[in-house]
Amino acid sequence: MSKMSMVQALNNALDIMMAENEKVYCLGEDIGWMGGDFGVTRGLFDKYGPERIRDTPLSESAIIGAAVGSAMVGMRPVAEIMFADFMGVCYDQLVNNAAKVHYMFDGQYKAPIVVRTACGGGFGGGPHHSQMIEGWFMNVPGLVIVAPSTPEDAKGLLIASIEDDNPILFLEHKALYSKKGEVPEGKYVTPLRKARVARQGSDVTIVADSWLVHKSLAAAEVLAGEGISTEVIDLRTLRPWDHETVLDSVRKTGRAVVVSESPGTGGLSADVSAVIAEQAFGDLKVAVKRVTALDTPIPFSVILEKIILPSEEDIIRAIQQIYKQS
Amino acid sequence: MMDRSELYLKMYRDMLRVRKFEQALEREFKLGNVPGMLHTGIGQEATMVAVAHSLRTKDGLFPDHRSHGLLFLKGTPGERIMAELFGKATGVCSGKGGSLHSADKSVNNFGDNAVEGSFMVTALGVALGWQMQGSDALAAVMLGDGTAGEGAWHESLNLAAAWKLPVLYCCVNNGYAISTPVGKSHATGDLYKFAAAYDMPSVQVDGNDLMAVYEVTQKAVEHIRAGKGPYFIEYITWRWQGLFMGEFRDKEEVRYWKEVHEPIKLADEDMLQKGIATIELLKQIENEVQEEIESWVTFAKQSPDPDPAKATGNVYVGWEVETR
Repeated sequence: MSKMSMVQALNNALDIMMAENEKVYCLGEDIGWMGGDFGVTRGLFDKYGPERIRDTPLSESAIIGAAVGSAMVGMRPVAEIMFADFMGVCYDQLVNNAAKVHYMFDGQYKAPIVVRTACGGGFGGGPHHSQMIEGWFMNVPGLVIVAPSTPEDAKGLLIASIEDDNPILFLEHKALYSKKGEVPEGKYVTPLRKARVARQGSDVTIVADSWLVHKSLAAAEVLAGEGISTEVIDLRTLRPWDHETVLDSVRKTGRAVVVSESPGTGGLSADVSAVIAEQAFGDLKVAVKRVTALDTPIPFSVILEKIILPSEEDIIRAIQQIYKQS
Repeated sequence: MMDRSELYLKMYRDMLRVRKFEQALEREFKLGNVPGMLHTGIGQEATMVAVAHSLRTKDGLFPDHRSHGLLFLKGTPGERIMAELFGKATGVCSGKGGSLHSADKSVNNFGDNAVEGSFMVTALGVALGWQMQGSDALAAVMLGDGTAGEGAWHESLNLAAAWKLPVLYCCVNNGYAISTPVGKSHATGDLYKFAAAYDMPSVQVDGNDLMAVYEVTQKAVEHIRAGKGPYFIEYITWRWQGLFMGEFRDKEEVRYWKEVHEPIKLADEDMLQKGIATIELLKQIENEVQEEIESWVTFAKQSPDPDPAKATGNVYVGWEVETR
């Protein structure tokens, strides 16, 4: 074990996979000698050269298209889209191409690509550098969406994603990049589609992902002081998400709060809530409660942004509220 | 190596195969046997045949929505293409792709992408993958004139040139994107000029002159195989198919392209004049081709419908999705 930031853990995962398999290569804007906007590919250009750490123009469609095409002939591309907000540019490539080549050609081709991207708000990035975008892709069969919350998971999930044969959207929250944690040495895999119980509890279940796992854990700590025992589930894979772990927890606690940094309308939080209501209704002591971003774009002013994004206090209040009701 | 007369006759036969395939499809479509939509390549046969004869099995093909003919010319058995267009279990994609998404990995056909121009960036990746693997295979992309308005078109040309990728751009300019004339919706109707701006060799050729199209395409693939990067060819041709509500083009224009400057007729006359074929031989070829195509239609009609399990199969690699 060694202490690493999430950036270092991701870098370590790429290094391990590129050393192991020459078909693994990276492409994206400024990922070469500069090492990427957030430093995730730092040092890899010197080690693996410009062919395998490939700088591209500002052509998000071409980045994803090139990734998909090369994956169809056996390569293992890891594409970087600098900010998740730019996914709109290459939406067609991901939705109509990457996610469908395996299905529409009935299994003849596959598109094992990983698309890494920096997502999330909380730092005054404004409307085009702050969004959580899993909701844009929740309705796309064939895509896998992964979002690590710790450096250890970031490394294990990225290795698992590179080894997986499906197209994977890998969401890296900017607020977590510099957060440090213990990371095992060498190669290991954190399984996809498997949620993690980040904190065990018996009274309430929080279902969270990415940055909000940390806010949920902080909220759980405060609530413990009030005598409420909170279980925190870190989804890790957002699509297809792990129904079993969530339902097992909700059946145990009888109360569920689903938190999300995205707007609630039509998003992951809506799907999780619906599945809980459909499949664990009889075990619920109180209706599912959601804590999500407000239904607005993200404003530039940090003061305004705080109003929009869910906070630790919002999560605490929601839990206190449903706890009182039941 | 085939001699020139032999090649000419073979390509002529292939043009007829494409023509008769499309005509059979139109007939079956009207009878309700072919589901969905139908875009035919009648009138554009010479471009397809020349491209097919310039590619090896290891070369990649990205066929467009009027390239049914190329699907079998690339090497897939014709009956499996016909069956796919009928949506049958024996189709090359088990009926899951249809006219707009017929791929065959065994011959490096990467399938059409019905979002026009979109696969131009996928082709970059195929070419890049092969370049990184040290292969000399190239990726050929069929594009209609209407794709020139798409962003992916320009991203593709730029990156192919910047990375010297082995991509052959086959731009089939048939004059119209559905109803819109090419020159009215783009800065220029001469699309090869766009490619020239991306610093790659780019030419315009009469797309209905079979041997001229073949020569130009040969030159392009030689350039690409020599590692010199992408090549862009604009084939000037014309599609017979009008709009769903009928013919919308000028009478004289229709007459010129269907009766005067028509690829099969031009080849007929040229071969007779040069003594490469006799009227009897041409008639014999036509009969043989007709019989071949009808056997494919029969195969498609007699094939079973897809297994219902296919509906939820191959969404993910290795994971099943829930069924009802």
